[in-house]
Amino acid sequence: MSQKIIIDTDPGIDDTIAIMTALRSPELEVLGLTSIFGNATTEITTQNALRLVELEGHDSIPVARGCDVPLVMELESIASDVHGRDGMGNTNLPAPKGKTIDKSAVEFIIDTVHACPGEVTLIPVGPLTNIAVALKTDPSIANLIKKIVLMGGAVSVPGNISPVAEANIYHDAHAADIVMQASCPVVMVGLDVTEQVIMTPQFFDELFKAGNPATNLIRRILPVYQDYHDRFLGMGGSIHTHDPSAIAYLINPDLFTTKSVPVFVETERRCKGKTTADWHHQWEKRVETEVCLEVNSSGVLDLIKERLTK
Amino acid sequence: MRKFWIDTDTASDDAVAILMALRTTDVDVLGISVVAGNVPAEQGAKNACYTVELCGKKTPVYMGATHPLLREPEWAYFFHGEDGMGNMHYPDASLTLAKENAIIAFIEAVRAHAGDINLVTLGPLTNIALALRIAPDIAKKISMCYTMGGAAVTLGNVSPAAEYNIYIDPEAAKIVFHSGIPLLMVGWEHCMGDANFSANEMEMMRSFKTKYADFTLDCNATAIETNKNWLGEPGLALPDPVTMAVALDPSICTERGSYYVDVETVGEATRGMTVVDKLGVTNKPANIEVCWKIDIQAWKNLLYERIQ
Repeated sequence: MSQKIIIDTDPGIDDTIAIMTALRSPELEVLGLTSIFGNATTEITTQNALRLVELEGHDSIPVARGCDVPLVMELESIASDVHGRDGMGNTNLPAPKGKTIDKSAVEFIIDTVHACPGEVTLIPVGPLTNIAVALKTDPSIANLIKKIVLMGGAVSVPGNISPVAEANIYHDAHAADIVMQASCPVVMVGLDVTEQVIMTPQFFDELFKAGNPATNLIRRILPVYQDYHDRFLGMGGSIHTHDPSAIAYLINPDLFTTKSVPVFVETERRCKGKTTADWHHQWEKRVETEVCLEVNSSGVLDLIKERLTK
Repeated sequence: MRKFWIDTDTASDDAVAILMALRTTDVDVLGISVVAGNVPAEQGAKNACYTVELCGKKTPVYMGATHPLLREPEWAYFFHGEDGMGNMHYPDASLTLAKENAIIAFIEAVRAHAGDINLVTLGPLTNIALALRIAPDIAKKISMCYTMGGAAVTLGNVSPAAEYNIYIDPEAAKIVFHSGIPLLMVGWEHCMGDANFSANEMEMMRSFKTKYADFTLDCNATAIETNKNWLGEPGLALPDPVTMAVALDPSICTERGSYYVDVETVGEATRGMTVVDKLGVTNKPANIEVCWKIDIQAWKNLLYERIQ
């Protein structure tokens, strides 16, 4: 039986790889995409989400527009040098044909969870504003969500947007801290594992041979993202596999080694967005998050390649 | 008919404010959204349902946020009694909660009556802040928001600097104050001294011999005692009904002005302080209005009229 999922996303170049992998995976039933700011504004990521469901004929999958700004903190200026001004590597794609549904992302999440109690897994791969606002608006959904598998955070490695913080958590640290306290199971797919999974130029050469709409789009949008990884980290055309790793976890969790631990999110000043694992239970009691610590990286890469090339 | 929406953490003075609106013939209360504040939202919802039923109405009561945005709740049992209603322990109403979520129902009501809906907030602003995050368009669709909250003169009740509603969820208040909703802040300073009902005035209210007058006095039994023993304030103070009176008859606010007003969210001694830039020293544009003065006799007369 396939898993019912909602992908909460800010596409986004790696979001694109993740979403296309999910849409091509029979184990996953994508009930909808909900948009959020992060890699670009919510206005832009919403348009990109519509483009992605239309790319290979998944037009019937609803796209719901998410929050424009973080729960409490100010919206930080969005760096266009990672994903491009359009979130899609400055490729100026044609406008999507479809429109978002009337419901907001938060309403879509609340209504869908109530419609399928205990069955819906949320996959946030951007800042966690929509999820936190949904949990605050209707606290009863916390016990009805099957699981939250989020891409974000870093407990054993440095940050990326700052020396200590991963970008998704950083952009709405309060929202992240709320999600880390949710009563449903929460799995954190953070930089601890996503930076171990490296897509190389050779990987992309093989991927692009497929020549399907998904791989063709990835080929078009990728250079800006490769360029960022090279300028910032000297990776020479390779990239870290952030959002697609969350999808790989859903399809095959055995590729990951996890440990359950309370996770706290710093919300103030320099260390804003830092995720701290309280390994020895020294801070106040908090529900545990299942944190991914190790990954079978070739297994993840093979899985993604298999889905995108078949 | 004027359209109203009431957001409330229904305890004793909220209940009187709700009663005033429901008993105003040219006002149609579209819905009542409950938020955690004086009492847990479940208790507040019970109290709101009881009040609606007392007034012979079927106004939908919706369940909203059970916690502030970021902070832990702090109940005000000491002021309102363990049931929030002066320990009257009223029976459960036969009116049941509406199924829809308060925040979603509020958004839908604002959109359905865009430009023709007044909001009266009587509790922490959590529900309204969440609604603004989900649907920022509603800010421009609310005709006027009357907020019981804040202390423009920095005379706090829950701390020296802060009034309870703002203190409980300062982040939510900050969101609402800066959202662009036309808002009149009616602070706690208008619910003291002569604005309170003296022993004689309460005796007169009792002599009305109506269930509404009795309810007004009974459910505030704890509040009257606490007001006297804790604040040294005489008589019955009714913060939420003062704000409701201003919403029902804006001429009761006799002095008001527009200012840049911010809410302290990080201060150690000043959490929830409403910082009013009356002299314009920040050079920031005005975001809300502040009520400086009310016509005390007009406010009292309005209440007397509604409970007879």
